[in-house]
Amino acid sequence: MKELAGRLTALDPDAGAAVRVIAYFDTLAESRAGLEALVRGAAVLAGCPARLVDVERRVHVRVEPDGRRQDSDLPPDPDWPSAALVPDGVPALWLERAGAAEPSVVDAVILERAAGALRVVLDRTRGRAPLSPADDPALVETVLDPTAAEGARLHAARRLGLDPDDPAGRARAVAPFGGRPRILRVRREGGPADGAPRGRRGGRLAEGTSRGRQDGRPDDGTSGDRRDGWSGDGTSGDRRDGGPGHGASRDRWDGRPTEAELPGGRVGVGPAVPVLGLPGSWDGARTALRFTAGGSPQDLGERVVYADDLGGIALLAELIAPGAEPPPDVRDVERAAADSPWMLATLHAVASTASLRAAATGINVHHSTLQDRLTHAEALLGWPVRTPRGRLRLHLALTMRHLARG
Amino acid sequence: MSMIPPPFDPELAAALEALKDMLPQQLTMDDIAAMRQGPGIEMLAQLDLTMGGFFEVEDRLVPGPEGEPEISLLICRPAAPATPGPLPVIYHVHGGGMVVGNNRVGVDAPLAWARELGAVVVSVEYRLAPEHPHPAPVEDVYAGLLWTAEHADELGGDPERIVIAGASAGGGLTAALALLTRDRKGPRPIGQVLLCPMLDDRNDTPSAHQMAGRGVWDRTANETGWTALLGELRGWPDVSEYAAPARAKDLSGLPPAFLDVGSAETFRDEVVSYASRLWQAGGVAELHVWPGGFHGFDGFAPQAAVSRDCREAHVRWLRRLLGE
Repeated sequence: MKELAGRLTALDPDAGAAVRVIAYFDTLAESRAGLEALVRGAAVLAGCPARLVDVERRVHVRVEPDGRRQDSDLPPDPDWPSAALVPDGVPALWLERAGAAEPSVVDAVILERAAGALRVVLDRTRGRAPLSPADDPALVETVLDPTAAEGARLHAARRLGLDPDDPAGRARAVAPFGGRPRILRVRREGGPADGAPRGRRGGRLAEGTSRGRQDGRPDDGTSGDRRDGWSGDGTSGDRRDGGPGHGASRDRWDGRPTEAELPGGRVGVGPAVPVLGLPGSWDGARTALRFTAGGSPQDLGERVVYADDLGGIALLAELIAPGAEPPPDVRDVERAAADSPWMLATLHAVASTASLRAAATGINVHHSTLQDRLTHAEALLGWPVRTPRGRLRLHLALTMRHLARG
Repeated sequence: MSMIPPPFDPELAAALEALKDMLPQQLTMDDIAAMRQGPGIEMLAQLDLTMGGFFEVEDRLVPGPEGEPEISLLICRPAAPATPGPLPVIYHVHGGGMVVGNNRVGVDAPLAWARELGAVVVSVEYRLAPEHPHPAPVEDVYAGLLWTAEHADELGGDPERIVIAGASAGGGLTAALALLTRDRKGPRPIGQVLLCPMLDDRNDTPSAHQMAGRGVWDRTANETGWTALLGELRGWPDVSEYAAPARAKDLSGLPPAFLDVGSAETFRDEVVSYASRLWQAGGVAELHVWPGGFHGFDGFAPQAAVSRDCREAHVRWLRRLLGE
């Protein structure tokens, strides 16, 4: 009788469809189906990809409508229909349906039923967040505290699943805006992502690893370079190899967390350091956080900033205290911003793109319009923004404006 | 033996629950006419047999068994074969409990294989019971294979590389076809694909009892199908092995077989037993019992994880068989 009676594919948006959706998820829940089966159900019934992102529990599942699991590092589109796992929570389950102004009745039923079933499974299998020792605030605090005894920091690090005995092991401190500090293990080249090796435990295995390397086993180039590049305490800004600023050498670009591994909202990410260097990484992360932006028209800039990328610009953070009287150039920018609604976006585009042409494209105006605007802006600011020196001054002014706003 | 059957796989259980009002339940003789008008026909009309232009599609009338009407073959050939020379041929026998269906039913599965492997698909239409009891269906299926083997060149196919395949009733007819070609010294298929095949008219295995009243093709429906094919002979000792291959005494000398079945379906035990007997006869067989699968699960819920694994297994076996 195979295939005679029809298949479970995208359902028509009729009343019967909602009933079948409910029956589908209720049965999955009764038979204790896992996360992927639930997300797959949403994708199959909706006929578009579905994804679950639970940052707190580090869960990321994305399934195509044909049932294939295919995760993505790209952030969810805020316009997609979505549901939170808890009332008033952040969106966690999305149907990747572009251009849907209002979710259809069937989409709404799918989201509601799937989110309810997912919440139960997450609570059952992952515990209520925070679930892993990696989210234990007391342990994280100890590892990041430069005044804590070294032994206490090592002990806390081990309980967090970090391996201080691995000479190639690196981690980053992460500072979310308004959130608790986090620690992310740095992914080894070709190795598992952060979190996966958490279960590996105990000094014996770690000793074995380091002995293996001392015995002349070829180290992977990445970690070797890193080790050479970092001083013993790994404090940010304390490089002794005389190299260029952080992030300049190619090897530091890998081992960056994916979008999904980072918390949502504004995030500062510290440099990758050995375990005992994490207080320095935390300093770097907090500094980097001050350079992040919320993304509103009044607050343009990057949501995620790496301390590695700041270089000398980080020094500005020491000069500008949040809430202090802003320097004159910042006052000029504020005055110009008050003049025209396009001003901040235009200045930001000029400061953050490689050419005026790219800036014009970035804010969707004609090149000549941009030129007219900049003539106007230069008159208000009192200094040019189209010369190299003037552009640097603009960039610094915008950055200091950011730092002063806190 | 417990009368409590194995649980359905969670995703399959959910699909079954959502589809239950569209599925045949406990089919009886009186339901056959209604079933032939069911929603399946509409779905088949929507099936793109060219698979997005990959295949050239042709319906062809060819001679039936001697003295019987012509039969219709659905022929799907790659429009632009990637390899020169004759292509493998998949000879497909549709399902439908011996009582419903046509040569479009379930053909999307062999078309997907053929697209992957670069093969010709020939799907045969056969007369249905109860109007046409045994041996009409299997003789039509045999006649279609004879024509296909003799005219393979014409189709761009290789008569030495014909794989016969079918699901459910089509799987049973495929197994019978393998026995017939052996015994009549007819064309020699190089493999037989028996997907959840309907093999045993006795309908009294432990799984047939366990699944009574559950799933897609339960014991009642199975009895209806076999009775339509065999009439009052069903279940009696002298049923032909070309009707019910499980009756065959000798399973030696058959082409390599791929068999699969769900653990939660009527046919589980007869399929497992048939595979064992193929090995005991010195044959080559690969058997998959998909946990928690109901009858035809991969067709009803192709997106489920277990269905995806199942369908990949079909292609992997064919790849090995065809030496690719």
